Amino acid sequence: KPDCVMKKERVLLMGKSGSGKTSMRSIIFANYIARDTRRLGATIDVEHSHVRFLGNLVLNLWDCGGQDTFMENYFTSQRDNIFRNVEVLIYVFDVESRELEKDMHYYQSCLEAILQNSPDAKIFCLVHKMDLVQEDQRDLIFKEREEDLRRLSRPLECACFRTSIWDETLYKAWSSIVYQLIPNVQQLEMNLRNFAQIIEADEVLLFERATFLVISHYQCKEQRDIHRFEKISNIIKQFKLSCSKLAASFQSMEVRNSNFAAFIDIFTSNTYVMVVMSDPSIPSAATLINIRNARKHFEKLERVDGPKHSLLMR
Amino acid sequence: VGGVCRVGWGTGPPLLQVPEDFISRELFDTVQVYVITKPELQNKLITVTAMEKKLIGCPVCIEHKKYSRNALLFNLGFVCDARAKACALEPIVKKLAGYLTTLELESGFISNKESKQKLVPIMTILLEELNAKGKCTLPIDESNTIHLKVIEQRPDPPIVQEYDVPVFTQNKDDFFNSQWDLTTQQILPYIDGFRHVQKISAEADVELNLVRIAVQNLLYYGVVTLVSILQYSNVYCTTPKVQDVVDDKCLQEECLSYVTKPGHKRASLRDVFQLYCGLSPGTTVRDLISRYTLQLQRVDERRLIQFGLMKGLIRRLQKYPVKVAQDERSLPARLYTGCHSYDEICCKTGMSYKELDERLENDPNIIVCWK
Repeated sequence: KPDCVMKKERVLLMGKSGSGKTSMRSIIFANYIARDTRRLGATIDVEHSHVRFLGNLVLNLWDCGGQDTFMENYFTSQRDNIFRNVEVLIYVFDVESRELEKDMHYYQSCLEAILQNSPDAKIFCLVHKMDLVQEDQRDLIFKEREEDLRRLSRPLECACFRTSIWDETLYKAWSSIVYQLIPNVQQLEMNLRNFAQIIEADEVLLFERATFLVISHYQCKEQRDIHRFEKISNIIKQFKLSCSKLAASFQSMEVRNSNFAAFIDIFTSNTYVMVVMSDPSIPSAATLINIRNARKHFEKLERVDGPKHSLLMR
Repeated sequence: VGGVCRVGWGTGPPLLQVPEDFISRELFDTVQVYVITKPELQNKLITVTAMEKKLIGCPVCIEHKKYSRNALLFNLGFVCDARAKACALEPIVKKLAGYLTTLELESGFISNKESKQKLVPIMTILLEELNAKGKCTLPIDESNTIHLKVIEQRPDPPIVQEYDVPVFTQNKDDFFNSQWDLTTQQILPYIDGFRHVQKISAEADVELNLVRIAVQNLLYYGVVTLVSILQYSNVYCTTPKVQDVVDDKCLQEECLSYVTKPGHKRASLRDVFQLYCGLSPGTTVRDLISRYTLQLQRVDERRLIQFGLMKGLIRRLQKYPVKVAQDERSLPARLYTGCHSYDEICCKTGMSYKELDERLENDPNIIVCWK
């Protein structure tokens, strides 16, 4: 079987200066904690980074500085260079911005350029810094913004998320974004379902190893908290970073009470798995053995399944 | 020098230009990545030539928590025509970058809204004065003034040898003032266009290498030029430039005033030109004098030679001994390679011309070349 071919996806990160693009990128991909991002300086022109994801995927991140002089440049002399071959456009809006018209103007210029150069690109709008909005206002404000953005984006479609670096919402948005780019996601889900059913788990989650973004999950029982995925991502990532500060590397965890047992462990070379069991008769050892045996199967999946899918097939 | 611009972050226009709109939007977009740069290019002198213009700047980054975005970035640069030679402006750009950095660190000069207003008037003064006078005195506030000068780049001067003779290119009296360093002041009285460096060193009681360096310095600024030791046994010949004495009226004027014997009527061009043309290989100065007594009535032959050398109208033919066969007895052999002139050998060994001549004439292993 042939070695998998590296798939490169260009991801554009755009938005007004100071809206939080570099901070987000640093937290998700560079192991910053939220507090660390206070030290960041303004991004000058474009910062390029290549992020390896799930072994056979490379995210080519273009973090574009948002100062007016750069923005104007992107839409004129650098237009073709920036907007061609884009798979994903992430546009970040600062919820506190006082220049709503200007923000929208730039956003629309972006969309125009995308329509011309990469019409199949997926568009995500992040309404960011939501922690600065009063808690009881958040849903309302986000709904308003979402409506405006969907309207303004036509004929293109955009997915909107509300985010903050101080809670789990950041992980939800980025998981959804990256999920779109994973080449063999259906197969992954199918295999996860089989695994979950065989070991009689309530729920199984698959995380990407470095970022802890949830890339796949299967649940057989209804769960109460629909935001549990991103919360878990956030918690485990923080824990992982704390461990590394003590020069220890996080490997696995078992959390147990009278109602459930959750196992978090390294799975394949690119993933972590979380298995939630609520059947008290199944001993930990059994679950751990099952996880160990499943590893080989999933490892093979990762290696063999290259990016057979093209843009059209998705 | 055209406009001066400054670019910064934060509120307010990112680009300040004097005169306004000197740089088009298009040009700025093209080069902005070299004006406000990524960290790797910060604090370096950067010259960008594009669209008929040349921009010389030094992007500065000052990191501090107090600034929004944790840093202040700015760049004060000069814009001139693409074909202009801008190297003389580079030290000024660097100096200004340093000044502005210090002003910002001390009193927030650039980031402060009020003092920022002063930038345009400062840039205006800079532009006007540097263009008009090549120098500028900028009062920034009550306690700070910046002094700038465009210093012309000159080519490196040649090494000065102990047998070279410095001669003033202009009126000697103009240079007798205390702005020169002590060494130069000490040797200035001994520069007469006839004393060679070694002699100056001996008579002024200044170490030889110091004299060489001091003279080289004077050479750099065009205060003196170098000629060779004048002896009546010297041989000279004309260069193609000698025609200029006839063609160039200015040069002619200068020449005739220079070579005329003091107290005599002005020498005629005919006589002077004949004298120059009389110099040729095989003719010593002594020979010239005996042949052209009439022409030399109003002409000082020493100054004639001196002027000819200074202006490149004539050149000296030197004698270079070459050892053609090995012989233990004759020394110093290392100087007889054909690369060292009689002047040099005499200076270095302390022999006189006559002594050297006698020694070499009698040595069958040595041939003397004229070049």
